[in-house]
Amino acid sequence: MDANNHFAVLGLEPAYELDVGALERSYLALQQQHHPDHATGGSVGERRAAMELSGAINEAYRVLRDPVRRAEYLCRLGGIDIDVSDPERGAPPMPQAFLIDMIERRDALADTRRRGPAAIDALRDRVEREQDEAFDRAVVALRRGAVREAAVALVERRYLQRLVDELDHEA
Amino acid sequence: MAYSDKVIDHYENPRNVGSLDKDDVEVGTGIVGAPACGDVMKLQIRVEDGVITDARFKTYGCGSAIASSSLVTEWVKGMRVDQALEINNGQIAEELSLPPVKIHCSVLAEDAIKAAIRDWQAKQAQLEAQAQGTAAAEAHSS
Repeated sequence: MDANNHFAVLGLEPAYELDVGALERSYLALQQQHHPDHATGGSVGERRAAMELSGAINEAYRVLRDPVRRAEYLCRLGGIDIDVSDPERGAPPMPQAFLIDMIERRDALADTRRRGPAAIDALRDRVEREQDEAFDRAVVALRRGAVREAAVALVERRYLQRLVDELDHEA
Repeated sequence: MAYSDKVIDHYENPRNVGSLDKDDVEVGTGIVGAPACGDVMKLQIRVEDGVITDARFKTYGCGSAIASSSLVTEWVKGMRVDQALEINNGQIAEELSLPPVKIHCSVLAEDAIKAAIRDWQAKQAQLEAQAQGTAAAEAHSS
């Protein structure tokens, strides 16, 4: 088993489409089978190995059960780690027009707030819809193996997520 | 995460927050984003006779990103454009004592001031081309 690959850890094919039932069953079986308690009588090395494997199983499950994390992880396997701000191996830079739009929409938040909670809710609904659309584009791109295109859509989704966070926090 | 006193000072009392008219020929605007965290930063400069006379920023992001852009606007005022181009993220990170996980915030501020200068330079080049075009047209008609 390749402990560095979340799909391999849980014995699954590396693809966005995933049988959630199979994921749950595999996770529960492996978690029981490799529980660190089973290694309590073993050597220091064996106990450490059991801890690491158990950690890898938990981490694989945490990432793969979440659709967004799963899609982002597939990009990472494809060579683009969007958690990294390095344009070489990290997320591709967004088009200038998109960034300008993000600034202008944040600038407009104060006005939206003055119009009251209903206006904020309407804006949140709209931004969440845009997030869903960006995510759908990422999934379509991943199906075609277009990792870079998927990464751009997932980054767009993150910027929109930050906009939603700001709506919720700065009251 | 523990922020340094300087970061907290810039975060609580940000210098030069605001906007300049992006259509003004003396104004350069740089807009950059950090894809990993979704921070966005706008940094603007006003240039008169090759010297930066005003600088403003708007940053939607974490304390380190706000402090980095606030610091850069403070630094560049009074600098010549070529001096401002020399600013690098290492100087910003050092001044603010940014921890390694926040270095990308100082990179963002460096990218923003460079983008603002490039925007101003592009405007000057365009003005020059227009002036030459007008001069050529006048020479042709006479």
